[in-house]
Amino acid sequence: MAYLSMGESHRRITDYLNRFSDAVYSQDGAALSKLLSFSSNSPYLLSLADALNVFQDANRLLKQSEKYAQFGEITAPLFRSLQNYRLGNLADAYQAFEKAANAFTQEFRNWESAWALEALYVVAYEIRVLAERADRELASNGKSPEKLKGAGSFLMKMFGVLAGKGPKRVGALYVTCQLFKIYFKLGTVHLCRSVIRSIETARFFDFEEFPKRDKVTYMYYTGRLEVFNENFPAADHKLSYALMHCNPRNEANIRMILKYLIPVKLSIGILPQDWLLKKYNLVEYRNVVLALKRGDLRLLRHALQEHEDRFLRSGVFLVLEKLELQVYQRLLKKIYIIQKQKDPSKAHQMKLEVIVKALKWLEIDMDLDEVECIVAILIFKNLVKGYFAHKSKVVVLSKQDPFPKLNGKPVNS
Amino acid sequence: MATETKPATEDVKIDLFEDDDEFEEFEINEEWEVKEEGKEVTQQWEDDWDDDDVNDDFSIQLRRELENNAEKN
Repeated sequence: MAYLSMGESHRRITDYLNRFSDAVYSQDGAALSKLLSFSSNSPYLLSLADALNVFQDANRLLKQSEKYAQFGEITAPLFRSLQNYRLGNLADAYQAFEKAANAFTQEFRNWESAWALEALYVVAYEIRVLAERADRELASNGKSPEKLKGAGSFLMKMFGVLAGKGPKRVGALYVTCQLFKIYFKLGTVHLCRSVIRSIETARFFDFEEFPKRDKVTYMYYTGRLEVFNENFPAADHKLSYALMHCNPRNEANIRMILKYLIPVKLSIGILPQDWLLKKYNLVEYRNVVLALKRGDLRLLRHALQEHEDRFLRSGVFLVLEKLELQVYQRLLKKIYIIQKQKDPSKAHQMKLEVIVKALKWLEIDMDLDEVECIVAILIFKNLVKGYFAHKSKVVVLSKQDPFPKLNGKPVNS
Repeated sequence: MATETKPATEDVKIDLFEDDDEFEEFEINEEWEVKEEGKEVTQQWEDDWDDDDVNDDFSIQLRRELENNAEKN
């Protein structure tokens, strides 16, 4: 670091304090945001951090004038945080930032209008990413990483300040999305429930009035929750909303939406076009789609095995595994059509033995009883219409629509 | 910086707390046009794929297999 005089340090610190109080007095949310955005690593904040580390006793400065002292509850811990941030002491930086954030939220609560929402967003975002970095530091020093959890508790308080009636309500969804990111990372997604309830049951505020960016993020995360709950129609609705409203230029986000929407669509009998898989590099779904089209059980099992890790990590493995029934249905339908072309009068009688043979060809060993059991499930789930002639080991297919399509509905459970 | 020199084993431990699919932040004032509903959707998805066509390679082989076996019996 180049030599920094006490005089210059003093100038930088008072400049910051002046800008802070000017931003508040003129209700300039954008200007205030810039003063809080640590992660932007702006030259202005970095040079302030250096000045604080030279000057050391900024608290004395704060007390010198009423103008500075007024926001001292915010700026004093903020300075301490920035100093530590600059020195790479992230756990300490977090601790001080949380104090500043608390004080800021108190002030925000007292301001009548929502002019400072943009600055509040910055605080919400910064506290989350700072907590993540602090936890990484703590873990690598063998200490327990607990800052992200703390940031979650803080953001719940912030949510409470926004969630009531009034002009600040529009900011509640941004904070919700930051909370989702924390809960998904910590694996405590059950904590999403109370926030969701508060967002979705408020009759005095229409969801559509929230900013687009927050609606898209919200629908992505709640859609993922519906996938975990295997509530496919709701997952389809939420993830499709996110897909349709996402910024088309943000391909990484579109890819993430599709990663969850594709298994949902498959489970209700709808396939993605191949270009979609190519464009967003979701090739792990390619053989799954092909297996459904063909009725190729072996290919489905191979595809699931090949990408098992990936599917398990994203939590869609069980969803994909359940596609087996649809693949059986498709295979039986193929056998039926082939029989029909040969002898239309006998096509609706399908010997279980024939199914056993088809499966053997696919290197899947099943005996008659096992196949009978599978067909029974298919009939029960309304994927096949028909009944058994038990003694002759034949399934008699309905002459009308023996293989009902799902038409966008999930398989009966 | 200290964060860059930490041993690889620590990374694995922390990895347990990761969400691979964390949605990217939009800019606070990011603006974009939403595409027309319907038009785009039909180009992305196929719901009428379950046809009666059995002329693909898989079906042809399946047919051959079933007929071969039928003869053997």
